[in-house]
Amino acid sequence: MLNVSLNEIYSETYKAYRSVGIEWGIAKDGANLSRWLAEHNFYFLGSILKNADLYKTGKISLSLKKNTFKKPFSAALMGLLLVEYISSDNVKWQGYVYDYKFLIASMAIIAKEQNINLILKCNKTTIAYTLEKNIFLQKDKIINTNYFYLEPFHLKEKLSLNHLETLKALPVPKVNKNCWERLKLMAFETYVPESETSKTGAGY
Amino acid sequence: MNIYQSKINFNDDFPLRHPADVMKLDRLGSFHQTRLSFSRQLIDELISNNWKTEIIKWNINSIGTGNAVIKISSKQRIYSLVVFCHQINDDERSDRVIAEKWDMTFSLFLGIPSKEELDEMSKNLKIQELGRHLPKQLTLSRANKSVRVFNSVLNNLSEGKQPDKKMINNIGYLVRTTAVYGNGKFGIADYLPETNDNPLNKPFQAEMLTVYLIRYFSIELVNYLAKEKGKDKSITLSNEISKHVGVGNATGLGMAPFLINHQKLIHKWIQARETAISRVLSIKKLSTYNQTKIFNLIERAYLYTTQWNVDDVIQFKRINVLRKELKDISNNKSLNGLLNNDYPLQNVYLHFINKISIETQEILNSIFIEPFPELLDDLTNEMGTDEQNTVAIGYKVNELIKIIKDKYSWALKIDIKNPDENFYFWYTSQAKLEPRLGATQIDHGKEKQLPFDIPQQVQNALKILTKLPDDMTGAEAMILHPEIRNIIKRVIINENFPFSEIQNNLVGKKVRPIDLLRCKLSFFGATKYDPKSNLWTRITLFQGAPLPHQLQEENATEWLFPYLVNA
Repeated sequence: MLNVSLNEIYSETYKAYRSVGIEWGIAKDGANLSRWLAEHNFYFLGSILKNADLYKTGKISLSLKKNTFKKPFSAALMGLLLVEYISSDNVKWQGYVYDYKFLIASMAIIAKEQNINLILKCNKTTIAYTLEKNIFLQKDKIINTNYFYLEPFHLKEKLSLNHLETLKALPVPKVNKNCWERLKLMAFETYVPESETSKTGAGY
Repeated sequence: MNIYQSKINFNDDFPLRHPADVMKLDRLGSFHQTRLSFSRQLIDELISNNWKTEIIKWNINSIGTGNAVIKISSKQRIYSLVVFCHQINDDERSDRVIAEKWDMTFSLFLGIPSKEELDEMSKNLKIQELGRHLPKQLTLSRANKSVRVFNSVLNNLSEGKQPDKKMINNIGYLVRTTAVYGNGKFGIADYLPETNDNPLNKPFQAEMLTVYLIRYFSIELVNYLAKEKGKDKSITLSNEISKHVGVGNATGLGMAPFLINHQKLIHKWIQARETAISRVLSIKKLSTYNQTKIFNLIERAYLYTTQWNVDDVIQFKRINVLRKELKDISNNKSLNGLLNNDYPLQNVYLHFINKISIETQEILNSIFIEPFPELLDDLTNEMGTDEQNTVAIGYKVNELIKIIKDKYSWALKIDIKNPDENFYFWYTSQAKLEPRLGATQIDHGKEKQLPFDIPQQVQNALKILTKLPDDMTGAEAMILHPEIRNIIKRVIINENFPFSEIQNNLVGKKVRPIDLLRCKLSFFGATKYDPKSNLWTRITLFQGAPLPHQLQEENATEWLFPYLVNA
């Protein structure tokens, strides 16, 4: 295992997503979600690599409407946009989701930044909700489906779920060294060999 | 504790300058150090909380290699600068970020490192970017000696003589850093403004503390080596000269993307500066003491420019104009009357604004702010922020179009089909992952460009938005068109944080990246900008700042415009 910083996780994820052609804004959103997961001790690195692969091979959907069991909606890439959409339009959404933990991260981020409350369910079970800028979730719940419901949450009282607290003081995520190297190799694809014109006047 | 006690009456009624005036590269590239600059904030903190500096480990030999640990502590906190000095050949000494060997390598460490931690750092610090670093390390840095100055100072001191002041002033430092990394780079600690309740939680304070201690170390090192060489005959560098020794820095494009990537933060910096200017321009009356201070600062600024020497033709001309205009202002017969009337600084500002260069306008702003630290306290606490990850909800398509037409009119006026407006593209180089500027018509790699072509993105987004229903939410528009996510986020941030966008085409032929560098460096508190091209500059940090043993002296907080008498 390797210690990495949150800043490294953000920047390497952003570049790795860019390397497979994901739009700038979406890649940044995905990187922010990864950072949040790492900061909160969720497994995230393999999920990023998998999402990038699925995007590259067209096996994942970025559409709110056109998602299926076999081609689910990418929460890792579109999670933040989805929570903004539900909050802006005050609508309920349901669909097939790949890797729902990125929805949890999205809910937590928009709750903290914009004090917006959402609730995530599968079947009739509540998986997570946000209230007063905090996220509450069933952390160890076994989920046997990839079909989820996400909607605005208007309840004023806490449900009986565990409170997930933000880690404080020098959080140092540990990652699998091989996966990290793979992510870095993907990120490297976004770099360009330095040209002679770039060198002119640059202090060589 | 607040080190500034007196109170000045002011009204917040003088309007802030408009972002369309401020956020232009020619103005941003004319900024100077102010009381709000981060190096100034650091010195204020060290004074306020009575920080003490102590060398707790000194394993340096007579040829200057080895290691040292310098402890710096307040009642609440302890940090240490870990130093390793290496022997390198002259031909291995390079200012370029791609260098692989340095005279000295450093890290600011949280607390005092254990033996095991020092051992670990001894392997990794010397290889800098190639190493993996400890999460208790707050920064990572390296420096090279200015060999000519270092050796001359060393030889003179060892023979019992002070070095030539002119040479000290011309170079300005004994060592020059080539990078100071912070915020999680290469495994070091992340900068977490919300969770860090420590004195380094303001922007770039860890980096500034690192540089300040490097400066102290460089002076201690030359004194030590002079003693080793000259024994009883040797002397130490005088206080006057030591104070004029800063730390050099060679800065290139690596610094530029920061201003584009951290919109909210940049807004905070510029807004704090503009608010400070507005506050001092709103002061109704100046005491005789403060009138004299303003006079003296104008004179001091003039003296500073007489010792600010550069080879760069553009900057040389600008300094000459600055020098002349400062002299003219200082000699202007109406200055006394202007300062004596109501709203004195506003009078001076309005009297001269249309007659002087941007460089002079901005140095006047530094002068105006300087005597009034008590007006800035709340501002220095507002200069850090988290960047926003989500886009503020509630915007409809028609509102986004209106914001773009209103706030980005500068970008809509640019003819993006003109090759000159797409002359460059920004990319990350494979060599040490540094940002670079490529020529669109010549270089490969545009498809991997960084998203700094703001006018193009704005115009493309406007085209898309105008085809969507007016009452569609921005969120839905971005889901349908993920390609506009990046720019719409920028636009909405800019709507709420108006100083967050540089209003020039950063890929156009006329762009001068040096202006981006200077803007950021002015917030660091750099002096003696010495551009070597449009792409990189040398500067000096902490020149004129009090040394650790001088921090409790009277007027220690006042070190704007370093000037060495008889140099």
